[in-house]
Amino acid sequence: MSRDSVLIIGAGLAGMKAGLLLANAGKKVYLVEKLPLIGGMAIKDEESFPNFECSTCMVAPVQQDVLQNPHIETMTLSTVETVEGSVGEFKVNIKKGARYVSMTDCIGCGMCYEPCPVSINNEWEEDLGEMKAIYVPTAGSLPNVPTIDPQHCTRLNGSDECNACAEACMFGAIKLDDKDEELVIEVGAIVIATGSSTYDVSSLETLGYGSFPGVFSPLEFERLFASNGPTEGEMTIRDTESVPSKIAIVHCVGRKEVGYCSSVCCMYSLKFAHFLKHKIPDAVVTNIHSDICVHDKTYQKFYEGINGVDTEMRFCSSMADVCVSGNGSGLKVNYPDGKGKEQAVEVDMVILAAAIVPTEGTAALAGILGIELDGFGFIRSLSENIGSIETSREGIFVAGSAEGPKDIQTSVIQAEAAAGKVMALLSAMPEPVAAESETGE
Amino acid sequence: MKAKVGVYICECGPNISERVDIEKISEELLSSGEYDDVELVVKNYGLLCSGDGKTYLEEEITSNAFTHLVIAACSPRDHNTTFINVCKKTDLNPFLYKMVNIREHCAWIIPDKDKATEKAVQYIRGGIKRVLYQSELFEKQLDITPDVLILGGGIAGMEAALALAGEERTVFLVERSSELGGVSAGLNRLLPRQGGEVNKLSSYRGEVENNEHIKLYLDSEIKSVIGFLGNYEVTIGSGDEEEGVELVVGAVIVATGFKLPEINGLPGFDFSEKDEVHSSIEIERMMATDRKLAMRNGEEPKSVALVHCGGRSERGYCSQICCSYMMKIAGYIKDQSTEIEVVEYFRDLCLPYKEDQKFYDEIAARGVEFRRFGKLEVDGASVVSTGMDGAESKQEYDMVIVAPAMLPAEGTEALAGLLEIPLHETGFFEEEHQSTNAIGTTTDGIFIIGAAQGPRGISSSMLFAQASAGRISTQLIPGQKITPEVKVSEILEAYCTGCLTCLEVCSYGAIYFDDDRAISVVNEAVCRGCGNCFGSCPSGALRTKHFTNTQLMKEVAEAVRER
Repeated sequence: MSRDSVLIIGAGLAGMKAGLLLANAGKKVYLVEKLPLIGGMAIKDEESFPNFECSTCMVAPVQQDVLQNPHIETMTLSTVETVEGSVGEFKVNIKKGARYVSMTDCIGCGMCYEPCPVSINNEWEEDLGEMKAIYVPTAGSLPNVPTIDPQHCTRLNGSDECNACAEACMFGAIKLDDKDEELVIEVGAIVIATGSSTYDVSSLETLGYGSFPGVFSPLEFERLFASNGPTEGEMTIRDTESVPSKIAIVHCVGRKEVGYCSSVCCMYSLKFAHFLKHKIPDAVVTNIHSDICVHDKTYQKFYEGINGVDTEMRFCSSMADVCVSGNGSGLKVNYPDGKGKEQAVEVDMVILAAAIVPTEGTAALAGILGIELDGFGFIRSLSENIGSIETSREGIFVAGSAEGPKDIQTSVIQAEAAAGKVMALLSAMPEPVAAESETGE
Repeated sequence: MKAKVGVYICECGPNISERVDIEKISEELLSSGEYDDVELVVKNYGLLCSGDGKTYLEEEITSNAFTHLVIAACSPRDHNTTFINVCKKTDLNPFLYKMVNIREHCAWIIPDKDKATEKAVQYIRGGIKRVLYQSELFEKQLDITPDVLILGGGIAGMEAALALAGEERTVFLVERSSELGGVSAGLNRLLPRQGGEVNKLSSYRGEVENNEHIKLYLDSEIKSVIGFLGNYEVTIGSGDEEEGVELVVGAVIVATGFKLPEINGLPGFDFSEKDEVHSSIEIERMMATDRKLAMRNGEEPKSVALVHCGGRSERGYCSQICCSYMMKIAGYIKDQSTEIEVVEYFRDLCLPYKEDQKFYDEIAARGVEFRRFGKLEVDGASVVSTGMDGAESKQEYDMVIVAPAMLPAEGTEALAGLLEIPLHETGFFEEEHQSTNAIGTTTDGIFIIGAAQGPRGISSSMLFAQASAGRISTQLIPGQKITPEVKVSEILEAYCTGCLTCLEVCSYGAIYFDDDRAISVVNEAVCRGCGNCFGSCPSGALRTKHFTNTQLMKEVAEAVRER
C-alpha cells in the first residue's frame, strides 16, 4: 500500500537515519543510492569533527542496521527516472543498474580482484589510487559486494572473452549477463537526501590546483589521510611521493564565487591542521583565514585547542587575493595581511578548503521530482515555513546537505524531522479506497 | 538432562575450508574425550549464511533438539544477526547460541594451515565452554503511552506540540511563565530567510491554545519524574506547592530555551545606567512596541554602534545567531533614517545559513559600515577597538547596541538534576552524541531541543522540534509495544555493600539506591547493558546478563588452556 511506503533518495547519513526511523515504525522504505556502496560523504573521512571520532566506526553500525533491516529495501547503483502521481500515491520508476555480481551469492571475500587484468582510476578515492574493473570502491565498503565497471571490463565492453573474475569466484556469484532493471514502486512520500559536493577548485587559476602537484582539494586530503585510503594513510605529495613538512590550508575557497559561507570549512580546515601535526609532528602548518565560523556550542573549544597548537592562524584581509605559485620545487602562498600588506608563506603542500556546492545531478533530479531549486542550486525548502524541510511539492521532503551546506549534526536533525513529517503526513491520509470496498462487502 | 551441543563449521567456500583443516577440527573435538558429559554433534557446511544454509541449520537445530549451538564461521559483525534469526525460528533460545570467528581470527591471518587449524580448535573449545554457561533470556514487551510532556512554551516547545498532538497522542505543554511565546514573542521582525514578518509566530500561540489535543499548564513546572521510555510518571505543579497534577507520558521534551545576560556585567563593558548602551533584545522590543528607535530622552540617535560577540570569549562559544540578527537591527535603523550612522563591530562574521551572505551584502550596500575588531571595549557610549591592522581607535556614539552571548535558561541545572540528564560544560543540556544524536540524552525518551540544547535561533529551534517529533512518532506508536534491552545488568543482593560506585558510573541513570535494604538496584527498563557498573563493582555484586564474569572467564580459560 503506497501510504505505508516511503522512497528515500540517497543513502548517506541523512538518508540512512531517516530510513531507519521510518522502518522501525513499520513503514516500507525504499532506499535508492546511485553509487555501489552506501554511507555517503561521512565515510570518506578518517575522523570527524569535533571529537576526532573514527567516522567509519560512527557510520558502519548505521550502515549495518540499514542493510539488516527487513523493512528497508536498499537499491544501490540505482536512480530515480520518473515520478508520477501525487502525495500519498507517488508512482516512481527506478532504474537499477547491473552490478554483474550477485548480492545473494557473493560473500565479499575479494578473490576476484587480483585476477582482473584491468586497472582503472578510482573515482571514489578522488583518482588518487587505482582499482580493478571489478571492485569495491574502498576497503570496508558496504554492501561488501563488488561491482564490475562495464565500460572498462574487457569482457563487458566486448574487447575480449576474459573470464578471470568468474573463474576466481568460488560461489558462482559473477553474473556477466546481468542487465539493468526498470522497476516501478508506489510510495506515499519521498525524502531527498542526495548530499552535496565540493567546489571545483581547478576553476580558480590563481590557487594553482592542477598546475602544482602539491595543491590538494579537501576530499583528496581526506582520502590521503585515511588509513583505508589509496596511500593507506601515508601523507605524500603526488608525483614526488615526498612527505610534506610545511603546509598551508587556505580557507573560504570559492566562497565569493558561490555567494555564501559553507559553514563547515573552518571546522574541517582546523581538523586537517590537527591531522597533519598528528601524523607529521615536525610539520609547520599555517591556516590562512578570514571569518572563523564555529557555531556549535562545542566548536569554539575545538578551534581553541588547535589554534596555536597544531597550526598558526594567519588572518587574511581579502581571501580573493590569495595566490599560490611555484617556488623552486615547492610552493608559495601570497596573501594580504590585516594591514593589507602582502605576506608570503613558503610551503610544500597547499590544501584548499573548498565551498560546499550542490551535486551534479541535483537540477536533473529536481526536474524529475517537479520541485524547485534555490538560487544556489540546492533543493529549495519553503522559507514561509521557518526551519522547514518541506519542498515546493507536497509529500516531498529534503534532508541533509542537498538543502544547503551543513554539518553532520544538522543533517541528521533534518533527517529526523523528515521522518516526523512523513509519519504525520501518512497517518493523516485517508484509508485507500480499495480497503473500504473490502469492508463494505 | 545431558546438554546436547551442536557445533556447525562454515566452510565459507574456500575462505575457511582451504586455510583450516575442518576435518581435523571435527576429529580433535570428537576424539578428545573432553566432552563426555555433553552430547556433541560436529558438522560442516558450505555456506551457512546462504538461503540453503539457513534452512539446513534450522532443520538441524529442530531435528537434533539441541540445547546449545555453536557456529564457527566469520565475524559476528557479518552474520551474528543472521544466526540469531535462525534460532528464533526454532525452539532454541537465541541466547544459548554462540558465534566463533574462525575466518578473520584464524583462516585469514595465519598462513600456516596447521597453526590456523590449532587456533580454530582452541577458539571453538572456548565457544563450547562459554555457551554451556549461557542462560536463556527472554524479550519482554512493554505497554507504552504515546502521550508527551513538553517543558517550555517557547517556539521550540510550541512547534513540537503542534507536530505531535493528534487524535491518538495528547501533548502536555508546561510553561513556567504566565504566557506562551518565549523570547521570540518579543521580536519586531524576522530575518529575510524566515520571511521577515512575525505573523507566523504570533499565530502559533492561538493554534496551540486552540488545539484540543494539547493540554496547557501555565505558571507551572515539573516537580518530579520517575520511569522510562514509554512510561514516565511526572508531577506538574506551580510555585512552591508540593501537590500537583500527576501525568503519565511516554516521552519528555525539554524546550526550556535560554536567557540573555545583563550586559553591564560583561568583561570589557564599563558604563553607567545613564549611558545609551543597550542589549539587542531591548532594541527588538523597543522596535516592536514603539516602532521607533529612540534614546532615553526620546530623541533619535545620530550614530549607532552595533557590537557583536558580547561575552563570547568568557563563555567559550559562539552564539550562532548574533551576526545575522545584528544585521537585521542595522536594517531597522536604516529603515527609520538613512541619515543615522551605523557601524557594526564584529570579530568574525558567522553566517552559517546560505541565505545570510546576501543579506549581509544588502545591509552593507545600505551604508552600514562593518568594522572588524581583534579587541574591543565599551567605555560609556564609546567603543574602543583594535583592528586587525593593530591600530586602536576610539569613537563615541549616541547609542551602543550589544549582542550578548546566549546563556542557559534559569533553572537549567536544577532541571538536569531532576531529570538525571547531564549538562555540557557550557551549561546547556548535553546531547547523547554531538553528530548523530543531538536531541537525544543518555536517558531514552528524554529529548532536548531548541536553545536548551545550545545557542540557536528560531529556524534551528523549530527544526530541532520537528526532529523530536520524528523520533517520538516513530518510537512511541499508539497501540504498539516496545521491547527493551534484554542484556541488562543485575545486582546480587548478598554481595552488594552499598558503596554507590555503580551509581556514579552509570551514564543512563539506570541504578538507584534502595535505602531500606542499603543496596543498589538496577532499573531493567532503563539499563542499556553497557557494562560500566559491572566493570566498576568492587565486590562482584554486579553482572551484565550474557556477559557475566563466569561466561567470559570460562571461555578464555578454555581457549588458552594448554593441552
